[in-house]
Amino acid sequence: MTKIDSERTKVAVPARGKMPSVKRIGGWHAIGPIVIFLAILVVVAILTPAFIGSGGLAIIASSSAPILLLALGQAMVLNVGSIDLSNAAIGLLGAILLALTLGPVAGLSPVIVLLATTAFGAVNGLIVAYAQVPSFALTLGTLGIFQAVALVASGRTTVYVASNGEGVHALYESGIANVPMTFWMGVCLAVFLWVLLRYTRIGRGMTAIGKNESAAIFSAVRTRSLKVLAFALSGFAAGLAGIAIIAQAGSASPTGLGSDLLLPAIAAALIGGTSISGGVVNPLTVIFGALTVALVPIATTAVGIDAQAQSLVYGAVIIGVVALTMSRNKSSIVK
Amino acid sequence: MSNLTTTPAVLHLNNVSKSFGSNRAVRGVSLSIQPGEVIGLIGENGAGKSTLLKILSGNYRHDEGTIAVNGREVQFRGPADALRAGIGVVHQEQSLFTNLTIAENIEVNTPIGRGGVNRLGLYNWRRLYADAAQALDLIGSHLNPKTRVSDLSFVDRQMVEIARAIRVSAASHTTPLVILDEPTAILERTETAILEREISKLRDIGSVIFVSHRLDEVMRICDRVVVMRDGELIADRTVDDVTEEELFRLMVGRETHAAVRSRRSIDPANSPVISIHDLTRAGSYADVSIDAYPGRVLAILGTSGSGRESVARAIFGAEGFDSGSVSIAGYSGRQLTIKKAVALGVGYVPAERKTEGMVGEMPADQNITLTHPGSAALGPFELPRRRLSLARAWFEKLDIRPREPGHTLQDFSGGNQQKVVLAKWLNSSHLKALVLDHPLRGLDPGAAETVNAQIRSVCDEGTAIILIPDTIDEALDIADDIVVMRDGRISGVFDLGHDNPATLDLLERML
Repeated sequence: MTKIDSERTKVAVPARGKMPSVKRIGGWHAIGPIVIFLAILVVVAILTPAFIGSGGLAIIASSSAPILLLALGQAMVLNVGSIDLSNAAIGLLGAILLALTLGPVAGLSPVIVLLATTAFGAVNGLIVAYAQVPSFALTLGTLGIFQAVALVASGRTTVYVASNGEGVHALYESGIANVPMTFWMGVCLAVFLWVLLRYTRIGRGMTAIGKNESAAIFSAVRTRSLKVLAFALSGFAAGLAGIAIIAQAGSASPTGLGSDLLLPAIAAALIGGTSISGGVVNPLTVIFGALTVALVPIATTAVGIDAQAQSLVYGAVIIGVVALTMSRNKSSIVK
Repeated sequence: MSNLTTTPAVLHLNNVSKSFGSNRAVRGVSLSIQPGEVIGLIGENGAGKSTLLKILSGNYRHDEGTIAVNGREVQFRGPADALRAGIGVVHQEQSLFTNLTIAENIEVNTPIGRGGVNRLGLYNWRRLYADAAQALDLIGSHLNPKTRVSDLSFVDRQMVEIARAIRVSAASHTTPLVILDEPTAILERTETAILEREISKLRDIGSVIFVSHRLDEVMRICDRVVVMRDGELIADRTVDDVTEEELFRLMVGRETHAAVRSRRSIDPANSPVISIHDLTRAGSYADVSIDAYPGRVLAILGTSGSGRESVARAIFGAEGFDSGSVSIAGYSGRQLTIKKAVALGVGYVPAERKTEGMVGEMPADQNITLTHPGSAALGPFELPRRRLSLARAWFEKLDIRPREPGHTLQDFSGGNQQKVVLAKWLNSSHLKALVLDHPLRGLDPGAAETVNAQIRSVCDEGTAIILIPDTIDEALDIADDIVVMRDGRISGVFDLGHDNPATLDLLERML
């Protein structure tokens, strides 16, 4: 029997020979976004040493906060094999609602805003899961709806926080290590999501959906509820982003700060190693994805690149970085 | 072109080797195939068969040795070169464009300009249909080239693939060599008979390499059988000099130990775990009543139109039904969902392992705890260390190799993957019934035997098994009860405890 066993083990060798390389990619997948952020930072530090000295890092971190929050929500939705194009619009609507309600209801206002944005996200999820509308089409539609609601709610102008804004504003003014609390809020959310994905059955189920939805269904994973939850988390994270916007600007408008965060947030999620076809995500590296996205425009200015060429550099860097960090486990199928 | 006195071999391999890094997938293979010969190529998964086929089809380049086609040495730079030399491969997974017509599929590889089918990048439709019809005629098929492939049965699609494989060589008047890579793996028995007939027709126009895991088929169809193991060609026998048992031993490296199952009749004191009554789904099956008892394997036989797969899926809540009832462990409801069925203690191993049975990119241990976390769970949490040790225990018990539960499941071989899928259900604390839809599909005989042994031991521990087998022999080998279905209705019920149906009798009730 033992002789037979050794022979049969030999048969399995080809499969085994393949395994270490997969593992190596996994390792790069975990640290790639960090390495790339640091590499860009080093280049900037060498070219303009003053940038780092004058608190440039804190500027990057604080400007990355809303992107980070939205990117984390987006990453959760991407992980279940869907996409949420409406989350930045939900975030901005949340900011407008916060600015409108802080005066009348004070401390209750952020709670109401978070409940509302989470509900918006959940509605997206419910329609995707139960009416089976493809998420791209659905959230493209709800993106328009939320933008319209934001226009109506704001009366097409900038809404200023009338009173009671101190508490929210303090999130931006106070901080740890010179970095505002809004950023640390994102870090806390990232840690929470990391634990959710790594150590809970809910997280495991979500990842299974992203990797192979049919198999998840046949394994009795509650695929519909988990999709709704992923979208609800995206709405919740968007609500936090709305709070971060008010904390930073003290006001919100349909065309102001936060109105163009959708694509940077998706870029941050991708640079952070999230697979656009689902099933691969690490919220902790998404932090560095968001930092990289915030760093690039600041760095191009600091290095002194012509303003007209900045978006070209920005675009080129995003493509290059995603090419380097993108998870390619899913054979060659990249959506 | 060919010398009349000594016809050169259609294909001659001399000492062909291919390595991937340190892994020598094919080692010094020498093989010669004469015109009109049908060669069976067998070997376990991972024995190097696919690598050898990919060398022949021009997908891989060999490192050492020479390949000669019709006496001339060749170097394939790509699949197009192989096709031009007359080697056509029919792949295991069908690779037809289902939205196009038969003719377009057959002509897709024809070199531009040459046959006149494709001139200046434009199709000459009349030529296209005529040439396709000719290729079909050559293999004795009477399909209409204008039919869309999506409207064809599986067997007919296979014929289109064969026609496509010989099309290029037919145009250049070389003797074709057709390689059939496990063409029968997912065919029903009756369809297999049709395909066997077609293969013997190919004999008249060229040669065939037939790759299969079904040894009985290989013995019936082929003139000669070559066996691969660990990258080497270890045996080359004519079918008259070899037995099925010997082939098994050569392939796997040990004797078969298929013990004859001792059977008892249904104990009248026992009550069924799953009882379906007058189950009907319009257009699929009608008035199906089946009882599955604990500790018994119930096999449902039938052809692809029998509706047996749909019945199996209805029991698991994966497909709805129009009328009748399914009761599981006393529970009976109109709306059975997968969630409900699993909660009641039913497990399901789907036929499509890679797409429905497992999350290939997830590690094996996470697949095992996906449905029933067992001791790995702590409230809503799942502890990686406990999960790993739980998975290790299953790897030990089911002999899953290599013993690396942390590796991605897709890196394991088919048989080991199937055991992980089994473990996922066995990890339930309240498993009462397992529905197995073609559990041995695509497994080599060695792997199939070990999976079968596990199914038996699960059954002996008191689980009811409902099995959709690949073959009648598989049913006779493992089942205690056999239900035969024909056109959606039950045409025979046998309790092997006291009935002893002949294969022919079962076959008659299927057709």
